[in-house]
Amino acid sequence: MNYQFDFRFLEGSFGALLDGLRVTIELAVASNLMGLVLGFALCLLAMSRWTIVRWPAQLFIEFFRCTPALLQIVWFFYCVPMMVDVFIDPILMGVLALGLNLTAFNAEAYRAGVQAVPKEHLDACVALGLKPWQRTMYVVLPQALRTAMPVLMTNGIGSLQQSALVAIVAVADLMYVGKSLATEAYRPLETYTVVALIYFALSLPIAKLVHVIERRQDLAVKR
Amino acid sequence: MLSSQTMIAQHDVPPAVVDFSPSTSGEFVQFSDVYKSYGENLVVMDHMNLDMREDDRLVIIGPSGSGKSSLLRVMMGLEGIQGGQIGFQGKPYIFGADAGRAKRIDAKLQKQIGMVFQHYTLFPHLSVLGNLILAPVKVGGLSKAEATERARLYLARLGLESKLHAYPSQLSGGQKQRVAIARALMLEPKLMLFDEVTSALDPEMVIEVQNVMLRLAEQKMAMIIVTHDMHFARDIATRVVFCASGKIVEQGAPADMFKCPKQARTREFLEKVLHLD
Repeated sequence: MNYQFDFRFLEGSFGALLDGLRVTIELAVASNLMGLVLGFALCLLAMSRWTIVRWPAQLFIEFFRCTPALLQIVWFFYCVPMMVDVFIDPILMGVLALGLNLTAFNAEAYRAGVQAVPKEHLDACVALGLKPWQRTMYVVLPQALRTAMPVLMTNGIGSLQQSALVAIVAVADLMYVGKSLATEAYRPLETYTVVALIYFALSLPIAKLVHVIERRQDLAVKR
Repeated sequence: MLSSQTMIAQHDVPPAVVDFSPSTSGEFVQFSDVYKSYGENLVVMDHMNLDMREDDRLVIIGPSGSGKSSLLRVMMGLEGIQGGQIGFQGKPYIFGADAGRAKRIDAKLQKQIGMVFQHYTLFPHLSVLGNLILAPVKVGGLSKAEATERARLYLARLGLESKLHAYPSQLSGGQKQRVAIARALMLEPKLMLFDEVTSALDPEMVIEVQNVMLRLAEQKMAMIIVTHDMHFARDIATRVVFCASGKIVEQGAPADMFKCPKQARTREFLEKVLHLD
């Protein structure tokens, strides 16, 4: 390969890349907040005693798990506005699409965590007079969050990567900016390499942190 | 006291509606014709009658599957009963499903009962202090400062004041159970239930937990205790109740029960367990 790498053209595009990065981080943070909160709520619904609650929740989870994320995003951008005749800000639409997808995956992660809470703890909550919602908030959630944390964080990184898909519907995120720069300068190799490195640098510390937490949990189990 | 041995054995007859007239409501705890089964075959409380006075410490003994733990779980309100009634402090407390009431348990009375379990039930994400003050603050209406003050008091009494900020994973099994007892006492219950609280412990830790319970006994705490430890039963009980197949076979003062049990079933059981000890 005698391709001459030349990164100099990117010097002037630093600002554009930063803008894209900001949008990407916004998308990732917002969809993760949504996924962490709604994921737990959805998990409770999916584990409900009542079929009428459990069934739609499970359907929601399976829908998002069993269709491509790209399709979900496209569907959100084109079909939702057609159905309800509103199109909110593109970033918000992106957050909704990514966030709902993450909600479904996080609900499954939480479920494993909730199931790992010993049954005796629930008995103890009754004996202590805690109401069902207090039991959920003060005893089940903290324990489930702890158990589910590695998977939740892995899902979170996944959502950061998936956020690149919104470039396809013209949200100016990091991927979108990269794509524009690459076509303008006819330098896809350099541009996409730099963009990839930025995604990598964002995700790697979190992935490493997941390893540390998993190791600590393994040790705690052995103790 | 012996009248409670009279059992109603006819399964087909619907249990009589018990009336809590003043003449019968003097008892602190009163099981009247309590019926509970899991499915058709496993009857854990077979029309059980049981009385307990406020200064009583009942120890329930019996082979496994005899309904000992069910009795405690029902009293705590963890599980319902199909038939009969339970009175607590002279008031109706729990109703059987056959009573056809929407509310089958009096939540106010339920709050006056504390329970300690066989397995460790300290919440691992909270410190000892956090475990102790959770319910008093969220349910009991105490301020955090008041609850913390009370927690210090109880921990000091149990010789655990240095563990206030420790997490459950840093405690030994015996310490965990002592903290669990303190956590139940924080709500100042009128009755304490102990469900085989020492059977998951190493022998040397059993004593420290039993000592805490003996001290509670000195302070006249009403207790119902399920245990396999017959020596401890003899030390702490005012009355020993022998259950088998969901029925109370025999009950009496510990000295009488262990020395000269009247029923063959009781004798057989005691010979077996005392021999093993």
